[in-house]
Amino acid sequence: MSESGVTQSQDDAQSTTDSAADATTDVAGATTASRDAADQTTAGETDEQLREEWTNYQFEGDPKLSVEDLDVYYGDDHAIQSVSMDIPRNSVTALIGPSGCGKSTFLRSLNRMNDRINSARVDGSVQLDGEEIYQDGVDLVELRKRVGMVFQAPNPFPKSIRDNVAYGPRKHGELRTGLVARLLGRDDTDEEDELVERSLRQAALYEEVSDRLDDNALGLSGGQQQRLCIARCLAVDPEVILMDEPASALDPIATSKIEDLIEDLAEDYTVVVVTHNMQQAARISDQTAVFLTGGELVEYDDTDEIFENPESQRVEDYITGKFG
Amino acid sequence: MSLGTRFDSTGTLVEEGSVTREAVSGGLVALAFASFVLGVLSLFQYLPVDATVGGVTVSTVLGGGLTLVGMGTVALGLASYAGRFETSPGHTGGLASAVFIGLLWFAVGGLVTSQTLGLSRLWPVLALLSGGVAAGVALVAREDLGVTLSAGLFVLLSGLVVVTGVVGPGWRWDPNGFSIVATGTVGVPVIALFAGLVGAWVAARVYGGFGAQGRQTGAYVLVGTNAAGMLALLVAVVSFIAIRGWGPMTEGIRYGLYWGPVTWFNPPVLDSWVIVEGPIVWFYWPFVMEGYGLNIPIDGVLPAIAGTFWLVVGAIAFAVPLGVGAAVFLTEYAEQGRFTFLVEISTNGLWSTPSIVYGLFGLAFLVPRLGNTPSLLSGQLVLGFMLLPLVVITSRESLKSVPDEYRDASAALGVSRWETIKSVVLPAAMPGVVTGVILGVGRIAGETAPILLVTTSSPFSADVAGVVQGGFGFVSSFPFVTVPTLDLVQSSNALPYQLFAIIGAGLGENLDFAWGTALVLLLVVMSFYAVGIASRVYFRRKLEA
Repeated sequence: MSESGVTQSQDDAQSTTDSAADATTDVAGATTASRDAADQTTAGETDEQLREEWTNYQFEGDPKLSVEDLDVYYGDDHAIQSVSMDIPRNSVTALIGPSGCGKSTFLRSLNRMNDRINSARVDGSVQLDGEEIYQDGVDLVELRKRVGMVFQAPNPFPKSIRDNVAYGPRKHGELRTGLVARLLGRDDTDEEDELVERSLRQAALYEEVSDRLDDNALGLSGGQQQRLCIARCLAVDPEVILMDEPASALDPIATSKIEDLIEDLAEDYTVVVVTHNMQQAARISDQTAVFLTGGELVEYDDTDEIFENPESQRVEDYITGKFG
Repeated sequence: MSLGTRFDSTGTLVEEGSVTREAVSGGLVALAFASFVLGVLSLFQYLPVDATVGGVTVSTVLGGGLTLVGMGTVALGLASYAGRFETSPGHTGGLASAVFIGLLWFAVGGLVTSQTLGLSRLWPVLALLSGGVAAGVALVAREDLGVTLSAGLFVLLSGLVVVTGVVGPGWRWDPNGFSIVATGTVGVPVIALFAGLVGAWVAARVYGGFGAQGRQTGAYVLVGTNAAGMLALLVAVVSFIAIRGWGPMTEGIRYGLYWGPVTWFNPPVLDSWVIVEGPIVWFYWPFVMEGYGLNIPIDGVLPAIAGTFWLVVGAIAFAVPLGVGAAVFLTEYAEQGRFTFLVEISTNGLWSTPSIVYGLFGLAFLVPRLGNTPSLLSGQLVLGFMLLPLVVITSRESLKSVPDEYRDASAALGVSRWETIKSVVLPAAMPGVVTGVILGVGRIAGETAPILLVTTSSPFSADVAGVVQGGFGFVSSFPFVTVPTLDLVQSSNALPYQLFAIIGAGLGENLDFAWGTALVLLLVVMSFYAVGIASRVYFRRKLEA
């Protein structure tokens, strides 16, 4: 498909209703944040200068994702201020910070979901395996196949569980199960069954739904729906999985299942997860990035370092609950 | 200071002596509701006011019932005011109730003084006076006294007027300055409807023991009675047509079962005919299986049914794909701004454009270009134009109500926008789209004016328009198959037009035929509804768990 440029311009022409809903939380948050950022900070937050070494995180091997001086604007609002960070492969990276600090916006700029918002403008560079994703000629289909995303609220399609999981591969033409395929003898039903089962197993959902794959996905519980969304994302075989507060709408038991799942997934995938639950970040992540008011990346390091020995006073105040 | 002294009156958790009040006022509600229902029945002549039931006229029954309701509510109100049983009345009847009661009494005062007393100049003063007094009583007096007295007396007065025969079956009223004549057959039911509604409302307030609870039951009864009245109106209209149309429509139906040849064939080897016999159901329904002509024993409406069928099918086939396509473009692709706003305004305007205007457009623009003759095709296109705006409006609304999460989820899987629309957005919007089509079909199937201009010929044809000509078959020359052809450029009849033409030809001897046609039209529209509702259920079930 050659829709890189085309898709982008179509996406830019996306209706305002769409985009408003897309970014409600973050735009609203970002508005207040950037206004505050200029001269003052959130109540209880001390004033301090950022230092480069706080965000200078060293690790072995090439980074999977490499972000360089990334700025995101919503209209006049500066939602992300020149953030640079390298994300190592096959690990869990947690993004934490108070509401409206731009962590979700940052996440959405990693697979160009911000393109779907009219007013959003992105400056800077994001590289996936050393390839720039913000340049002309980028195939958004291929990018989003490689960088999958799981949203805050479970959003399965109103289709059967099987159709939900097989949706991506079918639409990408990797599975052919339609009438024409059946007539031509190129039916991929077996492959599809295999893929559905594998994806659901990876998402730790198969045991619970194996006998009702043709039931509507909306009949599942919230936690099951979220794992189905993860399975749907895994079915297109991504390399990176972005998760935007994947457990915030779920009860504690469903949350712990999702957390276990994230840790398992990190063996084969690069997982970037936004959360505002600091215990969760401490439990599941290998490295943590702390965003604070105004869309700045304040500190980025091993999770243990962040939680036990933060360098920034503000980060220490934030993780000990003095503000935010 | 204890909390209990903060209010003047302390409520009790368990009311005593409320059983009598509830029994009596409940009975009054039922009686008032019965008067309302009886009023509806007599208004539609199912039970005319001068008919007698057990030796009494319906008018007397209505009047007596209303008198009882009026006396009962006033008595209950007085008893409550005297503290005979426990209620929780407010300090006032409430502003809205007072205004409502004031308007009632304004009308009563005005009518009595101008018509009965004949005070042609003074009536506005007296009308204002009576309205003001009633509203004042309802507003100022304690709720149990004010509301029951002002509204109960109205019911009582209405009942007395009817039961004493002041407004009875023989009553006539031709108000000055209006060229209408009201007779008792209409006047009594209308009074019964109004007073029944008011009586049920007041009695329900007593039933709830006044106060917040009383207002709640009052509103509940009022709204419920209104809904019942609306349903009654619907049933009355449909059954009115059904009762009159049933006889002519079913006239001459004959059916039977006989043994006969079902199929026969000639196998090449045997070289003789093999005939398979079996039971054959035989059914003849002249009204829907015959045309309209001199040599037909029982006239029928088959050509009109066929015409209406082709018109509706053609209009749907034309308007639905186009309308849904436009809605998808406007909702999913076009930038929301001045352009879409303009389109929205103009579609709304087109939907409210009178059908005769569409008909004139068709006559002036389509007919000369499509064979220069009235034709089914022109009718289908004109009806399609009429259906289009509604399809666009309802499809847009249902597309907008598809959650954005679906679009996000699909985009995050790298699926292109068109694929997303095709496999997620449109299926989720289908029930809404179908609802729009159902609404539109109801309108276009009954449309007379455009059909009259662009489709029918005069006098209307007695035969079914031969739209499908020829059949499937094999021939010896290229391309070796024949397929039926659709001939849409011919004039046709349609049910609403046929009805119109019969009425135009004089109803006298054709009255039965007209009612039968009306009933068939109703049934045809309803069967289109049934198809629409079934498909809506189908699409909805696909979305639901």
